[in-house]
Amino acid sequence: MIEVSNISKQVTTTEGTLSILQEINLSLASGESLAIVGPSGSGKSTLLGILAGLDLPTAGSVSLNGQDITAMDEEGRAAVRAGHVGFVFQSFHLLPGLTALENVALPLELQGDKNALKTAAYYLQRVGLDHRTTHYPRQLSGGEQQRVAVARAFACRPTILFADEPTGNLDTGTGEKINDLLFDLNKEEGTTLVLVTHEHNLAARCGQRLVLAAGRQVEQVAVKKKAAVKKTIVVKPKAIAIAKPKAKPKAKPKAKAKAKPKAKAKVSPKPKAQGSKR
Amino acid sequence: MLLRTWRGGQLGLIIWSLVLAVSVVTSVSLLAERIERALTAESSAFLAADLVVRSNKPTPQAWITKAQLQGVETSQMVSFASMVYHQSDMHLASIKAVQSNYPLRGLIKRSTTPFTLDESLIEAVDYGPAPGETWVDARLLPLLNIELGDSIELGDTVLKVSQIIVEEPDGGSYSFFGARVLMNWDDVEAAGIVQPGSRVTYKYLMAAGADADDFAVYTGWLNDQLSIHDRLITPDEAQASIASTMDRGRRFLLLAGSIGVVLAGIALALASHHFAAGQTQQVALLKSWGISASRVRSLYLQQSLWLGVGGSLVGLLVGYGFSELLIAIVREWLPIALPSAGMRPWITGMATGLLCLGGFTLPALWHLPAQSPLAVLRQDIQVAPVSSAVRGAFGVAAVAGLLLWYSNSLYLSLAILAGFALTALATVIIGLAMLRLGKNYGQRLGSIWRLALNNLWRRRSQSLIQMVGFSGAIALLMIMLVVRTSLIDEWRFQLAEDAPNHFLVNVAPYELDGVRDLVKEQNLETAGWYAMVRGRMIAINGQPITEAQKDSHESFRRELNLSWTAELPEGNKVTKGQWWGEVDSAAAIAPVSLEDDIAEELGLTLGDRITFSVGGLTFESEVVNTRTLNWDNMTPNFYFLFPEGLLEEYPRTSMTSLYIPPQQKLLVNDLLRKYPTVQVIELDKIIDRIRTIVSQVTRGLEVMTLLILSCGVLVMFAAVSLSMAERLQESAILRTLGSSRRLILGIQLVEFSVLGLMAGLLAAMGAEAAVAMLQYFMFDLPFALHPWIWVTGPIAGGVLVGALGVGYSRKAVVQPPLEVLKSL
Repeated sequence: MIEVSNISKQVTTTEGTLSILQEINLSLASGESLAIVGPSGSGKSTLLGILAGLDLPTAGSVSLNGQDITAMDEEGRAAVRAGHVGFVFQSFHLLPGLTALENVALPLELQGDKNALKTAAYYLQRVGLDHRTTHYPRQLSGGEQQRVAVARAFACRPTILFADEPTGNLDTGTGEKINDLLFDLNKEEGTTLVLVTHEHNLAARCGQRLVLAAGRQVEQVAVKKKAAVKKTIVVKPKAIAIAKPKAKPKAKPKAKAKAKPKAKAKVSPKPKAQGSKR
Repeated sequence: MLLRTWRGGQLGLIIWSLVLAVSVVTSVSLLAERIERALTAESSAFLAADLVVRSNKPTPQAWITKAQLQGVETSQMVSFASMVYHQSDMHLASIKAVQSNYPLRGLIKRSTTPFTLDESLIEAVDYGPAPGETWVDARLLPLLNIELGDSIELGDTVLKVSQIIVEEPDGGSYSFFGARVLMNWDDVEAAGIVQPGSRVTYKYLMAAGADADDFAVYTGWLNDQLSIHDRLITPDEAQASIASTMDRGRRFLLLAGSIGVVLAGIALALASHHFAAGQTQQVALLKSWGISASRVRSLYLQQSLWLGVGGSLVGLLVGYGFSELLIAIVREWLPIALPSAGMRPWITGMATGLLCLGGFTLPALWHLPAQSPLAVLRQDIQVAPVSSAVRGAFGVAAVAGLLLWYSNSLYLSLAILAGFALTALATVIIGLAMLRLGKNYGQRLGSIWRLALNNLWRRRSQSLIQMVGFSGAIALLMIMLVVRTSLIDEWRFQLAEDAPNHFLVNVAPYELDGVRDLVKEQNLETAGWYAMVRGRMIAINGQPITEAQKDSHESFRRELNLSWTAELPEGNKVTKGQWWGEVDSAAAIAPVSLEDDIAEELGLTLGDRITFSVGGLTFESEVVNTRTLNWDNMTPNFYFLFPEGLLEEYPRTSMTSLYIPPQQKLLVNDLLRKYPTVQVIELDKIIDRIRTIVSQVTRGLEVMTLLILSCGVLVMFAAVSLSMAERLQESAILRTLGSSRRLILGIQLVEFSVLGLMAGLLAAMGAEAAVAMLQYFMFDLPFALHPWIWVTGPIAGGVLVGALGVGYSRKAVVQPPLEVLKSL
């Protein structure tokens, strides 16, 4: 599904060339989930952007579903995204002038789906917001807004879902619920999931984990039992051209993580399996 | 998607600006076009027809026959002076004999109560007196000691006085010598007055039937039939003074409308800029979903098109409603059955909406498709908008195109563009210096001032954009107010309640003292006495006047009124050559000054030598200058003027103009009884008419001014809203850090007031320049500086912008900070 080969990303600043990523390699099969973890400034979002085809690496290649997106122009990459990619963002990115239903339906309508509203209604119900379809984002809490965003992402039936710090703006409790929703839907839809997070408990729920550090050490670890494949990919550390001010080597993961993966107690309103999913 | 965006409140300002631009253009176009058509109809009424041929010979039957075949309505009229008698009393009256279908246009107002001003006693009819009857000027009754129902003798016929003429549609001409007697055409032969060789004037009246094309064909044919004895008179020539008044009013409407369009365009540009800034994240999101750049462009183009069409349609409706309101206000002087406007105002309105969109909104949105989808992950990635210079160029091109098409006046368009461009340029250059000065000076001041002036400098790009918007709006409003005030003041001066409404002409030197005394006895004052002699042109550049020249213009064949003066008369303006200073009266060739139009008609230019014959003596003169005259101020004007010391020795008469109030109207009778050779030209009725028109037009202008003012406020509102999100955020953060409401509101007040004050000052500069151009080239008003705008502009700018800014940003101190931040 996703093949990444030796990608690097450098940017030119007034002080010289800055390396954001150095020779990243990874491979992710269809249906698997990958967490990209690392401290702030380690290049997680940059890598996510490149994987999703939103940005181009300075070197290396990325293939999505067998298509080399780094060889395409923006129009080509857009076409790949249109058919295969969904997003969930840290700041939700809901359109303030649209209701929850319209927000979810929008990408479907843009693709010419005649049943966009029906599909949107179904997914809103799936995320437990069928009673808030006519509400605007400003009338929803943070958690509710992110649930709408999750519904929107899945409504397009993507083959790959990219999530950038999906619970970064939420409190722990709400975040857990969102995470549950994300993984439940992911499992149901069989989507390949790539998410960026600095929360280790969220990372632990993914089948694979790619660790980036501002400095040198990166590793990819497969943690899912089912996969039964211990894939350990070591990415060569590279000297960073410009001294990043953060000398904090460790991203104290234990500080936040509560080892409580089971938040599934009550919330999700148990979607009725209804409606056509198309 | 458009509806949702509108519902979300993001398009409000854009839609308002678009609707306002279209409605201003539509309402003014509708009104101007209907006024123009009404003016044409009104002017036709002044002719009592659509076209008239004046001649000293009877109308050929062939003309009448052909007219009947072409479906053109015709009527004949003859005018002459003749004595009328009643017993032992007599009067040299101005006789007009008309056919039964007179007037072809307009109405005759008549009454059975002499000298009445009561409208309920006055009746308007579209026919003249029947055979055997006559309708007379009320003055005739005391002159002949008669009453209604009595009979008068005219030649060999006797006519019964059945009605008093209050107003004739074509009665405003300068041919009132003696009281009017209106009689039927069929009685002329019986009267036996008109004989071969009689000095009479025939008029052949024509009016278009159902088919305007047939009329055009007929008049084209008629033009070829005219002889040297015939003169074609069009409606415009019929009442030049009213046409001039109406034309000025129409031009002002156009000016107001043009300014409104420019203001609404500026508001649209600012609103579009603001809207586009808020769309970048949305576009990044769309592109992250795989929507291509070309599709994004297509989406926004479609939205813009729907916006343009929808907004324009609404604007057309609003404009129509507004024009009806304006017409209701000025209805009193417009014909009841108003001619409907053609398609042009509607097309102009719709084109305005689409052109505004193309010139202001599309350039602001053009860069959006290039927004990187990566912006969904990184806030720092923003595609740069199209450069301000390019956007400005599009905007200027759109405005220039609109102005030219709409006003059809190069001068007006250039004046407004120049005024605005100068203001914008001054704002950018001088405004930046002012901001820097403010920042430096603010260091010495208290915290509110220091913070506020610092903020203005820190946000200087935005501050300059806002200042351009404010100063442009203020400048345009000032232009309109200044021109309107000058126009109204000029009208009021010219048509003051006691403006001269009668001319006394042909007063002999031995009568002068007596007439002066008579006027003085009535406690009336004249506008000064002007002496003149009667002379005739006999040669041009040494060549005697030919028969062909005599046939070409009546001035070559009749006596002219020649006068003299040392100073250029008030209201006269030299257009070519120089006015004379000290003149040697013994010089061989005397200088002469000609009126512009007459010089052109006679084919005379500077340096031409004219030989005059005055009192049997001849002298040569050289054309040294030409002038324009002011016919509106009702003082005597002369086509031919000489310096003092040349003509004083010739037999002369004097003329003057004076105001005679209605209740003293019988002075005219006394004057004519004592000095029967004095000619009295009565203009009271026509002046009353002009005064009514002017007051109604003025009211219309007031209403237009309000509409344009609202455009100006909209611009200011758009400019204020530009930086509002950032300001609200800063204010909310300051509040969370413990700043008082006084501090926060104080900062906003100072920032906006200072911006408004600076903008007002810069606006005064641009406005003064534009007004100078407009006054000189477009409105024929005297050039004048306007010190009051240099004071009013900054104060009004500071107060208005300060109030708007504080009003808008009150939310930051009223709502809890967290709510404000969340809403942003």
